[in-house]
Amino acid sequence: MRRLAALPLLLGLVVLPAEAATTYPLTLQNCGFAVTFDKAPQRVVTIKSTATELLLSLGLRDRIVGVGFQDGPLPADLAAAGAGLKVLSEKAPSQEVVLETEPDFVYGGWESNFAGDAAGERPSLKQLGVASYVSPPACRSIRPPKLTFDAVFAEIGEMGAIFDVAPAAAALVAKQKAMLAAVRRDARGLTAVWYSSGTKAPYVGAGSGAPAMIMEALGLRNVFAGVDDGWTSANWEAVVDANPDVIVLVDAAWNSAEQKRKLLAANPITGKLDAVVNQRYLVIPFPASEAGVRNVPAAVDMARQLGALQIPAK
Amino acid sequence: MRRRPASFLASAGLVVLLLASATLAVTFGPADISAGDAWMTVLHHLRLADTAPLSPLRDAIVWELRLPRILAAAGVGAGLALAGTVMQVLTRNPLADPYLLGLSSGAALGAVGFLLAGMALLMPLGAFLGSLAALVLALAIARLLGGATPTRAILAGISIAALASAATSLLIFWSATGDSYREILSWLMGSLSGTTWGDTGLVALALVVCAPVILLSGRGLDAFAFGDAAAASLGIDIVRLRWTLLTATALLTGVMVAIGGAIGFVGLVVPHAVRLAVGSRHRVLLPASMLVGAVFMLWTDTAARSLFDPRELPVGIVTALVGAPAFLLILLRYRRIT
Repeated sequence: MRRLAALPLLLGLVVLPAEAATTYPLTLQNCGFAVTFDKAPQRVVTIKSTATELLLSLGLRDRIVGVGFQDGPLPADLAAAGAGLKVLSEKAPSQEVVLETEPDFVYGGWESNFAGDAAGERPSLKQLGVASYVSPPACRSIRPPKLTFDAVFAEIGEMGAIFDVAPAAAALVAKQKAMLAAVRRDARGLTAVWYSSGTKAPYVGAGSGAPAMIMEALGLRNVFAGVDDGWTSANWEAVVDANPDVIVLVDAAWNSAEQKRKLLAANPITGKLDAVVNQRYLVIPFPASEAGVRNVPAAVDMARQLGALQIPAK
Repeated sequence: MRRRPASFLASAGLVVLLLASATLAVTFGPADISAGDAWMTVLHHLRLADTAPLSPLRDAIVWELRLPRILAAAGVGAGLALAGTVMQVLTRNPLADPYLLGLSSGAALGAVGFLLAGMALLMPLGAFLGSLAALVLALAIARLLGGATPTRAILAGISIAALASAATSLLIFWSATGDSYREILSWLMGSLSGTTWGDTGLVALALVVCAPVILLSGRGLDAFAFGDAAAASLGIDIVRLRWTLLTATALLTGVMVAIGGAIGFVGLVVPHAVRLAVGSRHRVLLPASMLVGAVFMLWTDTAARSLFDPRELPVGIVTALVGAPAFLLILLRYRRIT
């Protein structure tokens, strides 16, 4: 191992040309942890929908030996490719369940997927010869910068390099860039609250994660942009005080957009909000609300929803 | 039986302090609303002023969000401090708090169960039923052990609490989906977010029903402090009094936990602090504890909802942050007593 140590480390830091074939061993720094691949992973466990969907989008279905902690159904364009995937666990799978599939790579959408009571600590996986990767925007060990679509594309590119499918990654990124370029920023200067969950205290999109990124692309001014975090537990007074023009409802299996709609309308205070009175909602499926390949399609869809909303000028 | 003027003055002073605190607290919050407008809004709703100064939404911020929460905070603080005072005497245990007999763990189990069953709006009911079940179980076990003495009740309570906590964790592990655990966690830490007038009404009702029973038992509680035998020799029906007080305390605590979650330290620290200031005579101690608890809770909750604008901190964190050092300070200052 010693003779291999320095070179790949340097290689990993060099930005790989978009469509170059990968030279193994490949070492890269991921969320404060050095990961080395001696060859393209053959047996992969994905945890969280974002990880599964990204690999499916790169045509890597046959490499996935198990998935865990899926947040919702796959989008229509991936449903066929992802049919019959082996579900290891509805929640975060434990280390033994993961190891039982004899993976050579575990790809997690959250860093907490690599806790001792989940897939296992990353160093312990490494000792067993299992590479690991945390979706960089979800990294907690190192605070990621404010999320941009370029960071989402970079993750696609990195997976392209890891699996030696750079052309597929480049094609996907090019396609998403074109879709994103067609999203017109709404010019009406509208304000928005991204309502993710919570009843007593709303859990909302804050200033530096996927919600902020998507809202900016739509030309929406996020009421909670000032909080430097992906999401935050806000209070209703701040929401009511801002009286946003539109409210983004996250549609999750455990807390549907419909439930949120009812809750907002039934509550004596939020029921008075302009967006609630006039039903000015944008809906996004939960798995598309975390950094991943569904952000761009979601932005396109939400731009369409937003364009359909009639909002009188103030 | 004559009230001492000093204690009467102390209580009157605390009432004034409480009213002043509420008046001031209604002007605090993330929304930028001037004190004058906030007060006029309240006066308008009380039909003491003709014009409403604010837009309907900002009016709602004052009248539907801030005021019910301020009043509920004061009520919960009063209830917890009162319940804590009673539990400390009844169990002759300085470490007793309202949750001693497994009440908070039982409440958590009930609330989390209801929440995960998709009945988030009935969480208070679940909490209330859970805390009552824990109390009844603890006392039943104590009786099985040969009579509900303080020690037996505490030991039974500890086992009930441990069992209920484990069951709660299992429930969360088993069925918390997505980020519903976040709401549970906030409730477990104690939070008054999203308090409505309905909640405030419940708190008030619990106080109106339970507080007089407790406040009128001051003499009996004084006797209890010297032991069951001493109390009995003063002609007090100790068994009946103990059960009456335990029931009233449990009802009170059950409602408080249902509304605010397991807010810690208020029921433990406030009675001690007040006892050191006004002495152990319960006719003075009980109302003073209630009022100090109300003021303390009102301000800690105001801090919880306005310090980190636009974010919100569970108030249980604030009460512990303020309560734990205050408790240590009291212990150090009066170490000869302990």
